Amino acid sequence: MILEEQILPYMQWLWSGGPGSIGALPRFLLIALGLGFLGLLLGFIVSAARHGILRGGDIVYRTITNGVRELWETSPRRVWALAQLAMKEAWRRRVVVALMVFFIILVFASWFLRTDHQDPAKLYISFVLTATTYLVLGIALLLSAFSLPADFKNKTIYTIVTKPVRAGEIVMGRTLGFTLVGTILLAIMGVSSYVFVNRSLDHTHEVDINSLKKVQDAAGEYIGQDGRTSLDANHRHEVELNTDGEGKAESNYGHYHQIVKRGDRSVVLGAEGIMRARVPRWGKLTFLDRQGVPKQRGISVGSEWTYRSFVDGNTQATAIWTFDDISPALNYDDGEVSGLPIGLIVRVFRTHKGVIGRGITGSIQVRNPETGLASEVIPFTALDAKIDERIIPQKLRGTDDKEYDLYKDFVSPNGQLEIRVQCLEGGQYFGFAQPDMYLRLPDASPVVNWLKVYASIWVQMVIVIAIGVTASTLLSGPVAMLFTVSFIVLGFFRPFFVGVAAGTEYGGGPVESFYRLITQKNIITKLDEGFTTSLIQGVDLVFRSLMLTMAQVLPDFAALSTVAFAALGFDVPADKVYQDLTMCLAYVIGLSVVGYFLLRTREVAR
Amino acid sequence: MSDDIVIQTRALGKVYRDFWGRQKVRALKPLDLEIQRGEVFGLLGPNGSGKTTTIKLILGLLFPTEGEALVFGKRATDVSKNERIGYLPEESYLYRFLNAEETLDFYGRLFDMSAETRKQRVDELIKMVGLDRARKRQLQEYSKGMTRRIGLAQALINNPELILLDEPTSGLDPIGTREMKDMILRLKEEGKTVVMCSHLLADVQDVCDRIAILHQGELKELGRVDTLLTVADVTQIRARNLTADCQNEIRQVIARHHGELMEMDNPSTTLEELFLSIVRDSEARPGRRANVEQTTSA
Repeated sequence: MILEEQILPYMQWLWSGGPGSIGALPRFLLIALGLGFLGLLLGFIVSAARHGILRGGDIVYRTITNGVRELWETSPRRVWALAQLAMKEAWRRRVVVALMVFFIILVFASWFLRTDHQDPAKLYISFVLTATTYLVLGIALLLSAFSLPADFKNKTIYTIVTKPVRAGEIVMGRTLGFTLVGTILLAIMGVSSYVFVNRSLDHTHEVDINSLKKVQDAAGEYIGQDGRTSLDANHRHEVELNTDGEGKAESNYGHYHQIVKRGDRSVVLGAEGIMRARVPRWGKLTFLDRQGVPKQRGISVGSEWTYRSFVDGNTQATAIWTFDDISPALNYDDGEVSGLPIGLIVRVFRTHKGVIGRGITGSIQVRNPETGLASEVIPFTALDAKIDERIIPQKLRGTDDKEYDLYKDFVSPNGQLEIRVQCLEGGQYFGFAQPDMYLRLPDASPVVNWLKVYASIWVQMVIVIAIGVTASTLLSGPVAMLFTVSFIVLGFFRPFFVGVAAGTEYGGGPVESFYRLITQKNIITKLDEGFTTSLIQGVDLVFRSLMLTMAQVLPDFAALSTVAFAALGFDVPADKVYQDLTMCLAYVIGLSVVGYFLLRTREVAR
Repeated sequence: MSDDIVIQTRALGKVYRDFWGRQKVRALKPLDLEIQRGEVFGLLGPNGSGKTTTIKLILGLLFPTEGEALVFGKRATDVSKNERIGYLPEESYLYRFLNAEETLDFYGRLFDMSAETRKQRVDELIKMVGLDRARKRQLQEYSKGMTRRIGLAQALINNPELILLDEPTSGLDPIGTREMKDMILRLKEEGKTVVMCSHLLADVQDVCDRIAILHQGELKELGRVDTLLTVADVTQIRARNLTADCQNEIRQVIARHHGELMEMDNPSTTLEELFLSIVRDSEARPGRRANVEQTTSA
C-alpha cells in the first residue's frame, strides 16, 4: 500500500493539520478570504471602468449585500424543482447510454483481462474501478458543462430568471440534479462491477488424488494428507487434508479454498479471500545506517521516486518500526498459532541476480524500546512487492536464549514495541516506506470497503459537476468543458503542477519550458545568462505565482482516488472517507458561491 | 414612488458593447416612463426600436447602461419583484421535454407554491387556455398556437399583478389572436396591469389604454390611445335603417351649417369579424356552407 501522505485523524486534519501545515478548515477560510478579496477587487475594477468609480462601488456593494440576502432567501423547494428538471434533462440527453458503455467495458474486460496474473483480483478490481472513475467523470463533465449554456442558447433561462429564482438556486439545483443522476449511475455500476469481479474470479478445483501423500506426526501416527489441486484458472494450490478428508487449499494467487467431504469425495469449494479489506495499523519508521547509527531515512538506490529508502544487506542497516498501544487485545489465536499478526511489504533491489527463482533472505526481530530486550531473529524470504502476512509468535526466545512473552517482555510499559527488519544478503537491498509494515487488525467487510471506494469516486464526480456547472454560468458549453477538463487533468497531475509552480521541477516555468522545447535544450541544461534568460525567468515568475494561487484550489484527484486500497485489498480508512467528503462539501460550497456571483453579474439576455 | 405606479423608468438607457467595451449600438435612449396600476400599456415600434430591450430591462434580463427601472418600487435586478410578475416571452421558451402539466407544476414550484395550490392552479390554467385534451402531451408535439397558450399559462401561474407580454399575438391564428385579446381585457377587468409590446397595431389599438411609440430607441409618443387617435375636427355619425330622403336631409343640414361632408355610405366589416363569424357559424351548423351575408349583417 502506497501512502505518500499520512492519513491524519479527521479532527486533527480539520483543525490543526499535520506537521508543517495548517488544518483544512483554517486553510479553506484563508483561501475563501483571499479569493473573495481578489474577486471583490476585480469586480470593482471592471465596474469602475464601465460605470465610473462611484457607480462601480455601488454596484459591487449591492451585489454583495444582495448575495448575502439571497442566501437566506434560498428555497429548498425551488432548488429541488430545478434539480428534478436537471435530472429529466439528463435522462432526455440519453445519459443511460453511459451504462451501456460500462457494460461493454465489462464484457471486454472479461474477454481480455488475464486470469493467469499473479494477483488477478488486483488486476480486475483496478481495471473496473479505474474504468468506472473515468467514465463517471466523463459523464459528469458532459452533463454539467453543457446544461446551462443550452438554456442560454434556447433562451429557456428567460422563463426561469423571471421567476423569483435566485442565481444560487440555479447553480445548486443543477449541481444537485446531476449529482443525483450520477449517484444512480454509480450505484448501478457499483453493484454490477462487484458482481462482475466476484463472478469472473470465482472458480473451483478438483483435489488431485494422485498427488496426495499421507502425513504422519513425530510419533508415526497418521494425521492427514498433503497434495495439490488440479490446474484450473491457470493455477493450482497446495492442499492439506485432515483425517476426515477435509481441509484447505492454501493461499495462492491471492485466495484460498475450503475443502469439505461430500460422500466419499473431498470437494473444493469456491474461492475465498479474493476481495479483502485488510485493516492496517501503522507505526513510525526510522532507520539505522550500515554502521548502526540512527537516521531518519535509509539510503537511496538512485530512484527518482523518493517514497522508499533502502537498507543494505549484511550490514547493521536496519528498518525499525515503532508501534504504539500494543496489548494482548491485538493477539491472534486460532488454536494452532498464537501471536501478533503483521503485514510486511518489501521492495527488493538487487545489485546481482542471486539465485534465480528464490527471494532474498531477511530477518525480523522484536525489541523492547525501553529495556532494549531483543528477540532472536526470525528469518524470512522477501519477494519483491509481495504482501507477506505473518504472525510474530507470542512465545519468543530472546538473544540470551531464554523464552519470553511478547506482550509482557517486549512491550514497554507505555505500550510501545519495536519491530526491526534487516536484509541478510550482501549486495542486496530492502526498500521501505512507513506504511510497508503494519499490524493486521481483523479484516473489514469487503462490501463496505467497495462502498467506500465508490464514495471516493462519487466525491470526484461531485467536484467535477460543481466545477462544470460553475464554469457554465459564464462560458459557452465547449469552453466550459475545456475549462473543466483542464481542471481535471491538472488535478490528476497536481504534485507536478505544484512542483512547476514552486520551481522544484527541472526545466523551469511554462515560458522557459517552451523556450527549451523550441531551442531543443534538455531540461537540466543551464540557460545562457543574458537579457533573454532574465526576461523568460521574469515572465515565468509571474506565471508561477498565478500557478501557485491556482494550485491552492486545484483538487488533487490522484489523492482522492482510493482504487489502490481496494485493488491491493486494504480497507479505506474511515478518516480518509470523512476527509474526502468534507473536501467535496468545501468545493461545492466554494464553487456555488463563485457560480452565484458569475451568474448574478451576467446579463441573461445578451 | 406612489403605490399606483407599477413600473417607473428614470432616464433608462441601454448601449450594447462588444467584448472590448466599444459601443456597438444604442438600443435605448434615456426613457422616462410611468405605468399605472390596472392599465393595459402598449409599447409600439418597428423592429429594432427598443421595445423588447425595454421589457428586458424592466425584467432585469439586461442591465441598464444608464438610469434605472423600478418595478413595484424595487430595482429591476431585485429578484423578489418577480413574485408579483408574469412574463410571456416573444417565443415560448419552455422545456420541450415536459408536458403541459409538468411545465406548469415546475413553474409553480419556482414560486414556492404548495403541492395542493399548484395542482389546483395547474388545472385551472390548463382549462383556461384550452389545453385540457393535450395536458399530457410533451410540448415538442405542440403547434405554435398551443405553445403560446401554455406560455401564457406559465406567465399566469402565480396569479401575477403585473403581466409583461412580448408580442403576445405573434404566431396565433385569428381565433387565437381574439382569445388572447379577450384574455388581456379580462386580466384588466381583474385589476391587473398588463404591459405588452407589439408591432401589430390593430391588436394594440384593441386592448391598450395607453401606448408609447418608440423609434430607433427613442420615445416618440406617449398617451391614451383614445386621445391619440381622436381626430378633433371630424364628426362621425353611425345610424341604422335611414331612408334615402333622410340621408339627403342630413346632407342639406351639413351644407346649411357650412360643414364638409367627407363620406356617407354603408360601412364594411373587418376581415377578422368576417372570419370569426364564419368559424362560429361552422361550429354551430357543421357541414353547411356559412350564410356570410346574414351573419355579418346581424
